[in-house]
Amino acid sequence: MLGDRTISAAGRGTLFAWRELGGMTILAGQVLRALLPPRMDAPELLRNMYRMGNRSLPIIALTAFFVGGIMVIQAGVLVKQLNAAGLVGWGAGYAIFREVGPMLIALMFSGRVGSNNTAELATMTVTEQLDGLRALAIDPIPYLVVPRVVAMTVCLLCLTVLGNLIALYGGAFFAMVLLDLEFSTLYYSLVDNIHWLDFVHGAVKAAVFGASIAMTSCYFGISVRGGAVGVGKAVNAAVVAAAISIVMLDFLLTAVLP
Amino acid sequence: MLIEFRDIHKAFGSKKILRGLSMGVGKKEVFFIIGTSGVGKSVTIKHLIGLLRIDEGEIHFDGKRIDNLSEKHFYPIRKRIGMVFQHATLFDSMSLRENVALPLRKHQGMRPNQALGKADELLERVHMQDFIHSAPAALSDGMRKRAAIARTLAMEPQIVLFDEPTTGLDPVNARRIDRLIRELSDELGVTSIVVSHDLTSIFSIADRISFIYQGKAYKSGTRQEFECCDDAIVRQFISGDSHGPLETPGF
Repeated sequence: MLGDRTISAAGRGTLFAWRELGGMTILAGQVLRALLPPRMDAPELLRNMYRMGNRSLPIIALTAFFVGGIMVIQAGVLVKQLNAAGLVGWGAGYAIFREVGPMLIALMFSGRVGSNNTAELATMTVTEQLDGLRALAIDPIPYLVVPRVVAMTVCLLCLTVLGNLIALYGGAFFAMVLLDLEFSTLYYSLVDNIHWLDFVHGAVKAAVFGASIAMTSCYFGISVRGGAVGVGKAVNAAVVAAAISIVMLDFLLTAVLP
Repeated sequence: MLIEFRDIHKAFGSKKILRGLSMGVGKKEVFFIIGTSGVGKSVTIKHLIGLLRIDEGEIHFDGKRIDNLSEKHFYPIRKRIGMVFQHATLFDSMSLRENVALPLRKHQGMRPNQALGKADELLERVHMQDFIHSAPAALSDGMRKRAAIARTLAMEPQIVLFDEPTTGLDPVNARRIDRLIRELSDELGVTSIVVSHDLTSIFSIADRISFIYQGKAYKSGTRQEFECCDDAIVRQFISGDSHGPLETPGF
């Protein structure tokens, strides 16, 4: 009996996952079609870039600054044991550029921007604003979804680049304060050892994470069913799906990218 | 007839809403669709612009069948048939004038400033000129509905669908909306299809009325014909008597 229920639950879960994945794939196809050639509303794009990018800057900067500090504190013990102060700048930069920066900033971005985006689109859906758009002969995909996907992808890329620099600054600050290292030691350790591919590796990840957060948040927003309860469930599902997709994509990209 | 519904069937799951509905709407008419709650009035008009798809039957607009069009091919139809929703559906992120300017920018190729200027004129037409910079959330239901009418007029539609335009409004604002609907027909030649329970509206501005009951157009005719109708079901609906032969969903 228990076995039947378990199999049944697993089947339901699998069907649910495939249905949502299928829905997201169809939406991704529609977005790509609208981007070739680009058809989107310029004021809507600028409005989204402002509220998604500019307004995320303080929280991303604060997080990044302390992430740099955490990297240095964690490395500090090893550095002292091995007398490897010359590697701190490179180590922190390598980890921040390739992994910690893109991933943590993407998770922060998903929590702040992705969830907000799902809530807004889901509310528009349940209050018939999306039907209102269609009734005005305006396709919601190029008008609402495409500018958000472009804005989130571009903004997360820019925020990650900026966040990485702030994290490096935070790392340098804490290394000087807590480990008594000189700025020049950190600086030359970084610029002599870091490769431009490390930077590109992180930038590609950031853009992919941004597109992924955008697709999940838009999909759960426009496919919502029910009223306020449905909106809550959609936000929850979008945040979980975005976090899972970020981790899985990170794994894939780390394996594939040079 | 400008619009014809022929033997329309529509079900949501096992719940059959429309069961062979047939009716026609002529040019420049103010046509009311009436009936008890849940009988399928709003569902009927949403089929006209492809927001819902019929299960069986045919819908003809201006001599052409439209129920079988793809979503993409419905967009030109939506430029000719505007809809004012029950809850206005103005976009919260925009001011009133930006809401009204949106279809002007998208469909008439106007530059943003030009569209905003035209939007101000349209808002003045519905007596909302003092609220052009207001957010929809800051306004009353009646004001939002008037702004939604202005936004729909921006499309210069041949037909406007009104979904319960006076529901939830005080009598004064309700009559203002009625007057607007009548003016659209008399001055601009717009055909209006109005879903409503508001008997004052129905008997003051309707050219023709269709009473939907049990999924069909039970009776269609002019308002004079309805006033004189001796059918027990129609009479009960008009009188609002809780006792009688009229069966309502859920009771």
